[in-house]
Amino acid sequence: MKPVLFLLLSFPLLGALLVSLIGRHLSRRAVETIACTAVAASFILALTAFLLSGQKAYSLTLARWFAAGSFQVGLDLYYDPLAAVMALMVTFVSSLVHLYSVGYMRYDNGYIRYFCFLNLFVFAMLVIVTAGNLVFLYLGWETVGLCSYALIGFWYEKPEAANAGAKAFVVTRLGDVAFGIAIAICWVTLGHLSVSGIHDSAAGIDASRAGIIGCFLFLAAIGKSAQLPLSVWLPDAMAGPTPVSALIHAATMVTAGVYLLMRFFPVIQASMPLMAVIACVGILTICFGALGALIQKDIKRILAYSTISQVGYMFLALGAGDVAGSLFHLIAHAFFKSLLFLGAGCIIQALHEEQDIFRMGGGLRQKMPQLFWLFLAGTAALGAFPLTAGFFSKDRILLAVFLQPQAGYKLLWVIASMAAMITPLYAFRLFIIVFFGKSQSPSGPAKASPTSVPDVMTRVLWPLAFFSVFLGFLNLPLNWAGKEWLAQYLAAVPGSAMELHASSKMESAMQLGSALLTIIMVIVACIYYGTRVESVETGTETLLSKMQALFRNGFYLDRLYQTRITAPYRAAAGLLWQKVDAGWLDAGLNQSARSFLTLAETLRLWTTGRVSRYVSMMVAGFALILCSLTLAWWYLLI
Amino acid sequence: MTIPFTHMLFLAILLFVMGAACAMTRKNLFLILIGVEVMLNAAGIAFVAAAMRWLDMNGQIMVLFVMTAAAAEIAVALALIICFQRQSGSTNADRLSLLKG
Amino acid sequence: MTVFNIIFYIAAAIVVGATGLAITRKQVVHAVCYLVISFMGTAVLFYILGAPLLAALEVIIYAGGIMVLFLFVVMMVKDTPPSIDKPSRVKRWLPAMILAGTSALISGLLVFADPGNRLRPPIVTGTPQEFGNILFKDYWFPVEIASLLLLAALIGAHYLGRRADHPEDTP
Repeated sequence: MKPVLFLLLSFPLLGALLVSLIGRHLSRRAVETIACTAVAASFILALTAFLLSGQKAYSLTLARWFAAGSFQVGLDLYYDPLAAVMALMVTFVSSLVHLYSVGYMRYDNGYIRYFCFLNLFVFAMLVIVTAGNLVFLYLGWETVGLCSYALIGFWYEKPEAANAGAKAFVVTRLGDVAFGIAIAICWVTLGHLSVSGIHDSAAGIDASRAGIIGCFLFLAAIGKSAQLPLSVWLPDAMAGPTPVSALIHAATMVTAGVYLLMRFFPVIQASMPLMAVIACVGILTICFGALGALIQKDIKRILAYSTISQVGYMFLALGAGDVAGSLFHLIAHAFFKSLLFLGAGCIIQALHEEQDIFRMGGGLRQKMPQLFWLFLAGTAALGAFPLTAGFFSKDRILLAVFLQPQAGYKLLWVIASMAAMITPLYAFRLFIIVFFGKSQSPSGPAKASPTSVPDVMTRVLWPLAFFSVFLGFLNLPLNWAGKEWLAQYLAAVPGSAMELHASSKMESAMQLGSALLTIIMVIVACIYYGTRVESVETGTETLLSKMQALFRNGFYLDRLYQTRITAPYRAAAGLLWQKVDAGWLDAGLNQSARSFLTLAETLRLWTTGRVSRYVSMMVAGFALILCSLTLAWWYLLI
Repeated sequence: MTIPFTHMLFLAILLFVMGAACAMTRKNLFLILIGVEVMLNAAGIAFVAAAMRWLDMNGQIMVLFVMTAAAAEIAVALALIICFQRQSGSTNADRLSLLKG
Repeated sequence: MTVFNIIFYIAAAIVVGATGLAITRKQVVHAVCYLVISFMGTAVLFYILGAPLLAALEVIIYAGGIMVLFLFVVMMVKDTPPSIDKPSRVKRWLPAMILAGTSALISGLLVFADPGNRLRPPIVTGTPQEFGNILFKDYWFPVEIASLLLLAALIGAHYLGRRADHPEDTP
């Protein structure tokens, strides 16, 4: 097991090192091959580990990292079913994204930097997934942040890309700080940092302590997973290359926060209020993301907001105590969201960097029939169309929320269900406008040509589409004669053993209800968006237009941060720079330096270069010393 | 011995000041050296006088060391002067002005 | 007021006078000659003050060794001498006259005060034997250091005083 896990981690790292160190001496094809092979090998190893491990949990130490007194940190690994599923998903999606990138980045000259960071990204995420202690996990966590910064700002010549990278980094940094605090608290209160140790001691600690640790972990997760109120970086992160977006949203970044909470779920579980808070943040984010996605025009932004919303579902599931449901949705989401993003990448490239859905012109259906069906699969899964992966995963989450005994959860269930109605609406709005819409710019569709997209970019979408549609059978509900395989598999993971005590009838009723609702909403979307062209704003301030503006701008969260935090901070920084630093400190230093210069200029006159002058000075000095000695002696005598 | 100790000291001080004045005011390197010698000699007289005053041999022995130091100093100093003279063709101390600020 | 007291003051006067002349000369050779006189007087003072060995050393080392070295170097160095105006005959002989006069005075004093030549300095604190005993018993270490100093001075002087045959070696 140990060599398998070691290689699992080292292949992407090796790939990144090879690409970065000798990449410039190799041909483009070689670099691409190295990067893709590294991740593909990682996937094969993840599969091997998955098959070898069964349901056991492994705690391994690869090497000692550092030690300070009793504080010892090793390169520990912890591999259990949860990590196994995550590792499989991450490596699988990443391999496909790598392959896709070969096509997508075919004209970009920064491919060495790109593939290096892409590999490193996968490595960092795998570290997060398999880390056996908090510090090692933190390493992966930070590296993920670094890679996201580098890849979102990949086209750093464009100011908005560079800014988006910096924004992602800074905002997730807030969460990272919380993570650091959580590690410190863990060490102080629990005395050790290993994952298994924390699982063991989680049962023994009291609720308030668990709440504090969990709270900081939760803050960290909020930052990485772009939940409210730290969600602002994700829509801007679209400035990066589209495959990177797919990677961030599906496999390597946004899911890290959710995974962190799953990993330490025993601690979080110990505090009921924290669970409620997580659920509330989840539900708020669901609504925020769904409403935002409903009104955006940029295809990638729509998908970004939908990610925020979908990750909100994962948090909601965790808040309801359903780790298996959360993971189920995470996996399903990874497949359909990467599918959608990669599909969107094809569309964007086919239309020459056109990202506005209203200018795509609807001609794509005829020109790219393959893509049409692929995108339809992704949209259906996102919109939780019956029998797709999204349908089963979302249903399970709603059921778990509904089954929570507290009354508050019933309210959450209602809201979540309503938000779940919006999901197919925005998903199919996107789909219909892109593929059936009427172009507002006549030049748009004429340029679209299927040949402008390499085959590899559409080919890698097929497996993703397959899983988006059929992944639901991984965890078929009991009333479908399913075995809930995923939940069973995860049963050994601490904190995830949750039975959904629902009668088969109730379950069926809920599924039927949500299926019906979804289909209705899809029809509504088809009718509503299929028949009208988005009207250009008339300028009248109706309530509707106001709300649209509100949603479009993400509830002005950005502007709030801008005016309330960033602007005062900038002002303070400017003040410190210009007044305090340049005005006082620098000027003071300059002044004192100048006074020393003047002093030196004055003293310089003494060095006349005349020996006699030196001698007389020496004599005077000796005389002074003698006089003082005499005085001292005299004083002592008296 | 009826010579007052103060007279001896006065003599020593007088000589010392003369030597110092010479070292300070003259420009010729040799004369500066002469001034230094005079100062050392004055110190010797003071030592011997003190040895006399307290009937202690240590003072006299110190004069021997002073002489040694003077001999060494003169040897090196003269070599330096020769060296300098070869370079600049002069023994004027004001020509030694490379340290001028 | 013994005869030694008188001799002390006379010697002191000679020392001060010779030193004063020495430090005011323009000609270095003159200054050195006056300084020799000054050292001689100092030797007399040392003798009177009970340090006969030091008196001898003063004459040998200072007046005899150092000053002669000085003279040699002064003569070696080609300095542009200030124009020597030949002094008058009287002026040329005056120092010698004074010296001779003083010598005669001291000799007369001694003969007058002590016809039987039994006069000894009142206190001899340091006979050469005593001096050597203390020097090599209590001060053997400083003596070694002093010898080291002299050696260093010797080497240094040799190094500095070399002919500049090899330009790259010259200091």
